[in-house]
Amino acid sequence: MVLLESEQFLTELTRLFQKCRLSGSVFITLKKYDGRTKPIPRKGSVEGFEPSDNKCLLRATDGKKKISTVVSSKEVNKFQMVSVWCSLCLVSQGKHNNHWLRLLFRFTALL
Amino acid sequence: MPQYQTWEEFSRAAEKLYLADPMKARVVLKYRHSDGSLCIKVTDDLVCLVYRTDQAQDVKKIEKFHSQLKRLIVAKESHSVAMETD
Repeated sequence: MVLLESEQFLTELTRLFQKCRLSGSVFITLKKYDGRTKPIPRKGSVEGFEPSDNKCLLRATDGKKKISTVVSSKEVNKFQMVSVWCSLCLVSQGKHNNHWLRLLFRFTALL
Repeated sequence: MPQYQTWEEFSRAAEKLYLADPMKARVVLKYRHSDGSLCIKVTDDLVCLVYRTDQAQDVKKIEKFHSQLKRLIVAKESHSVAMETD
């Protein structure tokens, strides 16, 4: 599982969508994240760990390649793009979708 | 693994499941361009709620729900946001 920065994650996500255009699925997982970096031991607790409340973990995979990123409340606006892609891809199905792919790249460049 | 036929029922049940335990629940989106289908699953590893569609109008609702949930997760205060669905 590769942990990426948000811009890199979005670029790699576009690539995943492109790769799976003709066959295959893209899985996107969203989960609340409290900032832990070590597993919680069965006895006792991790010292010096303060759970944070404003982050989430976004993961994406095509079944083979896995990528992930941590999104905080400041970056959440950037990630509205994730949903825009799904709709753009569905809209462009069956038509010439080079136009849509160029739009996607332009959006990613804006970030 | 209950599959919902109507979006309204699914979104209500999914929001309830997330609010019951935000740390346990996760949302999974599965997109297949070849079939033109989108599937959204919300689970806490005990209960699993699924909604599938290939309709563009449902895709918009799923997008909106997904981004609302994302905002809810990163919001500092824990409060219930009434998720409006069209």
